[in-house]
Amino acid sequence: MNGAQQNCGNPEHGLHRRRFLEGMTAGAISSLSWAGLFSNPAFAEAAKKTQKRCILLWLCGGPSQFETWDPKPGTTTSGPFGSIPTSIPGIHFSELMPKCASIAHKTAVIRSMKTSASEHTQAINLLQRGHKPRPPFTRPTIGSVLSQQLGQLDSAIPNFILLDPCPEGNEFKGFKAGNWAGWLGAEYSPVRTGGDFGIPHVDKLDSITTNDHEAREDLRSFFSKKFENDTRSKAASSHNAVYGRVKGLMSCAHLFDLERLPQQDRERYGPGTFGQHALLARNLVEEGAPFVMVANGMPWDCHVFNHEIYQMVVPDLDNIIYQLHQDLEERGMLDDTLVIAMGEFGRTPWLNAARGRDHYPNAWSLTMFGSGIAEGAVVGATDKLGFDVTGQAFDEQNLFATIFAALGINPHGEFQIPSLPNFHYVEDKSEPIREVLA
Amino acid sequence: MKVDIAKGSSFKLPTHCLSLARGEDNQFYAACFDGGIYALPQIRWGKPNKLAEHRNYASGVNWSRANRELISSGYDGHLLWINPDKKQTTREIKAHEFWSWQSTISPNGKFIASSTGQYLCGGYKYEPAQEKEPSIRVYEVLTGREAHHFPHIPPVESVAFSNDGKFLAAGNLMGEVRIWNLETEKEVARIQTGNFTGWGIIKGHYFTGGIFSLAFSPDDSEILLAGMGSTRDPAAGNGKQLWERWQWRDGAVERTGSANDSEIGQGLMETLAIHPGGKIFAMAGRLFKGQWNTAIFDLATGSLLAATDTKMRVSKAVWNEDGTRLYLGGSSGQPKGMKDIEKTDWGKVKVLKVSVS
Repeated sequence: MNGAQQNCGNPEHGLHRRRFLEGMTAGAISSLSWAGLFSNPAFAEAAKKTQKRCILLWLCGGPSQFETWDPKPGTTTSGPFGSIPTSIPGIHFSELMPKCASIAHKTAVIRSMKTSASEHTQAINLLQRGHKPRPPFTRPTIGSVLSQQLGQLDSAIPNFILLDPCPEGNEFKGFKAGNWAGWLGAEYSPVRTGGDFGIPHVDKLDSITTNDHEAREDLRSFFSKKFENDTRSKAASSHNAVYGRVKGLMSCAHLFDLERLPQQDRERYGPGTFGQHALLARNLVEEGAPFVMVANGMPWDCHVFNHEIYQMVVPDLDNIIYQLHQDLEERGMLDDTLVIAMGEFGRTPWLNAARGRDHYPNAWSLTMFGSGIAEGAVVGATDKLGFDVTGQAFDEQNLFATIFAALGINPHGEFQIPSLPNFHYVEDKSEPIREVLA
Repeated sequence: MKVDIAKGSSFKLPTHCLSLARGEDNQFYAACFDGGIYALPQIRWGKPNKLAEHRNYASGVNWSRANRELISSGYDGHLLWINPDKKQTTREIKAHEFWSWQSTISPNGKFIASSTGQYLCGGYKYEPAQEKEPSIRVYEVLTGREAHHFPHIPPVESVAFSNDGKFLAAGNLMGEVRIWNLETEKEVARIQTGNFTGWGIIKGHYFTGGIFSLAFSPDDSEILLAGMGSTRDPAAGNGKQLWERWQWRDGAVERTGSANDSEIGQGLMETLAIHPGGKIFAMAGRLFKGQWNTAIFDLATGSLLAATDTKMRVSKAVWNEDGTRLYLGGSSGQPKGMKDIEKTDWGKVKVLKVSVS
């Protein structure tokens, strides 16, 4: 094991950028050097304790609310799956989700999401960025913002990890690296891996010693940093950020290796890629990664064979959510780890001619649990056939405000980016969904 | 051989029709999404007569000559024996824990077979998990006693008896057809064709499609398979409108024919029906792209003889007794608006007049 590997999971890495900057502002620690800061055990311990993390189970394609959290049994929109009671009296989930039903009192469900975009690219942008496009500015995705806000200084583990095995599996294919992070810059874009996508070129060549490798990297770093400073080059800055990331990855590549995870855990999460990657995500956040997004292509987009596919993907999701909850609870990580399972919209109440459900942003559901989330909250409702939200509807801005608030981030805080207009994490003073917050 | 198709009458049903059966005197029966088993009216403007109800989608309906009853199957996993004259359910059997995907009665009228199986994740690439219950169960029509059960990889979407009543075939999502000798209960042939199954390279990494319909050739030497060709995008439903013909006797499994690429379009084909004359067969389903969703093929050569677009998804095709009419059950989808979705008249049976010369 080299030196960098020894740093992986070190308490130092528990110090996240936002808290550090807040501390600097307060002046309480502004006079401390980095070394001094980390040598303060009380500070390091406090920072470690408050480290927030987030796992986003990205149900790309748009999961059906009818076959998950908002079934309409006995109606013309129900489809062939029934509903089952949950651990919350009077609340039912789809019969495909018995495990989630058993822990409903520990999770929260929002049944009254109502958004505006009904096509994937627009809707994914909306639900990943939390706001409609405002050209020429590109708002960063939730992962990029959280990686900046919760990210650990000098962490070897990437601050934004995307696990997705499917190369053409979702509209992310159209996201260039910079697009993920928008105005935050490429250093906040994700490290993507999963399935057949290993992280390439992170093994140190046997032909070079560790000392030589580090000496070469120091030299490269010196010259490229000098070039970046001399030319004020953003490209050089991004280039250096990527190099920094690769260096970190070399030290923690083993954390991405499924084969190293206990076989018993692997069996519990189910054999499919989504389950295996969810387990990997649990492991990564346990090791200090602040934001891990687990996607699995776009399996929820069932315009055809809706019930034929949902009979498989929903039980898979049911088990994954259950296992994640159990594991985080067992490890005492629920207070600091937010888990969200959502897509970009829901599905139509009606079945099309191809036995599928189409895109439907008018009334859809999601679930979340953990950090900052009220246990057993079931927020909002839809009418008897699931066509529309009854009562107050919530949009992407309410949702993002909720996510930020749950993680202890002021939703109305400003991005501190020179030369940009005053953008906020959530615009228009949009309110979080209070009933979901603990 | 020349085949002409003309539009005939049509009937409304409350919801999508998944299955049809022909009883005595060309009386037709339908199984629908709402769980209902219906007798079609004899006159076009008549209303379907509800005979019984499943607690979930009704997926199959079969006419038993032996006891002049219907035997239906449903996504509730149950089989119902129904006396159509009395509108009475005379026997109910829980055949499966999961859906009955399809049911069929043996030509000799002795057995009713039903297939089941939930697609659950069984591997890293979402290969189907092993069965949790027998995927095929066979019951005696007269007694309701279970006569046989057979293993398969779920979900098993189609099932068919040979014309001599000695063999049973069942096809699954993965394009595997197993054929058993009913007397010995031994598996006598296994066909594996990947041509009906798609694994999502785009969108989702999982399997879709499979064998949706099976039919033995009149001499039982071959078996026809229908479904949709492989597709890279499981959400598109744009695979070929596909049938294949396989020789299976004496373990000599070999593909002997398939739909001609120049004669087909794209879309899921759900049903096969061999003409009473034994020279032609019909295949029908959904049109995604192309010219037709219902076509008549020459059984000997495989050539397309006639085709039409019925403007609906067809789930089941059944010939009338003399082969001059082809009954097609299905729908054009559920009404979309909130105002209309509770309407119960969106299922359809369309009848084609077919002349063979």
